[in-house]
Amino acid sequence: MTGRLLGAFWRINLAEELQYRANFIASVLGTLFSMATALLTLALFFRHTSALGGWDYWEIVVLLGVFNALTGVVEAVLRPGIGRLAGEVRGGGLDLVLVKPVDAQGFVSFRHLDIWRFADIVLGLGLAGYALVRLHHAPSFAQLGAFVVTLAAAAVVVYAIWVVLMSLAFWFVSVENIAVLFDAVYEGARYPVSAYPGALRFLFVYLIPIAWTTTIPASALTGRLRPEIALAAALVAGVAFTLARALWRAALKRYTGASG
Amino acid sequence: MSVATVDFFTMPAVVTAEQLSKTFRVKVRDPGLKGALRALLRPRYREVHAVRDVTFRIDPGEIVAFLGPNGAGKTTTLKMLTGLLYPTAGQVRVADFVPWTGGPAFKRRIALVLGNRQQLVWDLPPEETFLLNRAIYDIPERAYRERLAELVSLLELGDVLQKPVRQLSLGERMKCELTASLLHSPPLLFLDEPTLGLDVTAQDAIRRFLIEYRSRHNATVLLTSHYMQDVTALASRVLMINRGRLLYDGALEALVARIARTKRIELVLGGTDGNRVTADALAVFGEVKAFHFPNAVLEVRREDAPATSARLLAALPVADLSIEDPPIEEVIRHAFAQGFEEADA
Repeated sequence: MTGRLLGAFWRINLAEELQYRANFIASVLGTLFSMATALLTLALFFRHTSALGGWDYWEIVVLLGVFNALTGVVEAVLRPGIGRLAGEVRGGGLDLVLVKPVDAQGFVSFRHLDIWRFADIVLGLGLAGYALVRLHHAPSFAQLGAFVVTLAAAAVVVYAIWVVLMSLAFWFVSVENIAVLFDAVYEGARYPVSAYPGALRFLFVYLIPIAWTTTIPASALTGRLRPEIALAAALVAGVAFTLARALWRAALKRYTGASG
Repeated sequence: MSVATVDFFTMPAVVTAEQLSKTFRVKVRDPGLKGALRALLRPRYREVHAVRDVTFRIDPGEIVAFLGPNGAGKTTTLKMLTGLLYPTAGQVRVADFVPWTGGPAFKRRIALVLGNRQQLVWDLPPEETFLLNRAIYDIPERAYRERLAELVSLLELGDVLQKPVRQLSLGERMKCELTASLLHSPPLLFLDEPTLGLDVTAQDAIRRFLIEYRSRHNATVLLTSHYMQDVTALASRVLMINRGRLLYDGALEALVARIARTKRIELVLGGTDGNRVTADALAVFGEVKAFHFPNAVLEVRREDAPATSARLLAALPVADLSIEDPPIEEVIRHAFAQGFEEADA
């Protein structure tokens, strides 16, 4: 996937969205509202406790900011892109992609973007920044570096999960509802993974690796993260991406009947 | 790739398919809830032979039409030729590539247009889609400008380019689809129902464009269509396919001569009002297909046509007489309805 093509995707989506500018206001208002609700829920928890899984209030708000930024990635890129795969498979639109001299996975993933939801990323990071101020904690360069690495790794992990879920469309054709499954599990990333009991923690770290998506980047910002964990996060992202790519290839083989 | 019949492939053909077959395994489901449950617990499968032992070749610059009823195997064959499906058996070469291993180099040499699917971005003017394809195919700026100008003038798209796609007519949209698909100058075009649902004027415009485009660029075109006019106007050759088998490969006229068992005698009758020829009088000579004085159309057995004509001329006041083949649609429909093999015998 060349930069030029990504640029063309960005341009065409922006041109599409600019026709409906009211969408931008609606989108930002929606995000602000859901962030406010999340903060209220959190405040409610903290009337009964002073820490959740060893994290205090403002630390969890940092995590919530990271959660919102990643939600922005999901809503801006994944849901409108790879999230449409099932429909494209069923409707045959994928055929028109497969005859083009581009990487089909890249094309499907980035052809459709929901431009306004990129604002969610900014809003989420803003919330995390505000919480850091309240914590009186200024992250060092190393911590910021670790945050950037782990956040990028988180985006890759979430992307890989979507690719895996959506690739099931090639076997079961009708999997639109599987996005709901993702939403349900991803809700678990709102809180630090240490807040969960052992079995769930195991699930979120090793099986559906959403622990890597919010807990680790937020830990980097608040100075809890050991440097080797940042490297591990990058490694996990690499493995997740490779597995997702392999599944995608197997799925395409099935689609074309190459696997017999 | 090992090829048994070497000379078959060493000839300079654009498309060669040799004993191409595609078998799908389809889940069998009985109707009703019980059937659904049984299909879930103990699925049974049935083999569907979508394409069976199909062999043909297409030379550069040919326009070849795929003919056949729905479900005959036309689209499946097209998908195998464009690399979207692996064949179960057989060999294919398209533009010097094996389609499903050809990769980007192969894909740059073909265009696939599907009459029932569109790549145009719905809310934007078509030029945005063209620019996207420019990026996808990495077309240099100058080549893009020249190419677009040519297609716009051939397809008479002048004032359409600035309107959002959603405001375009079906015909304008298909013209833009063609433009988007041809910007990278593919020498080989696969068109699946390119005139589907278009009005007569738009159909005609698309046909004229394809003829002009082919003669300018010596492009090779393989198309499927339900409209016999597409085939008669465009194709130098037809491949007739039914139930997955290739039944005929050759010129359309020769096919009609082979399978049409009747001829039509078209008459313009003379005579005055007093002694008008009646339909009953004509019925003696053959089946009256149409009668509206002074015009009449009779259908007779092919081999009887000359003799019947002679008798008509002798017995009735005939001002004009011509012997024609029956309309192609009818011949084809008849052939498929009867089972081609039988008509062929």
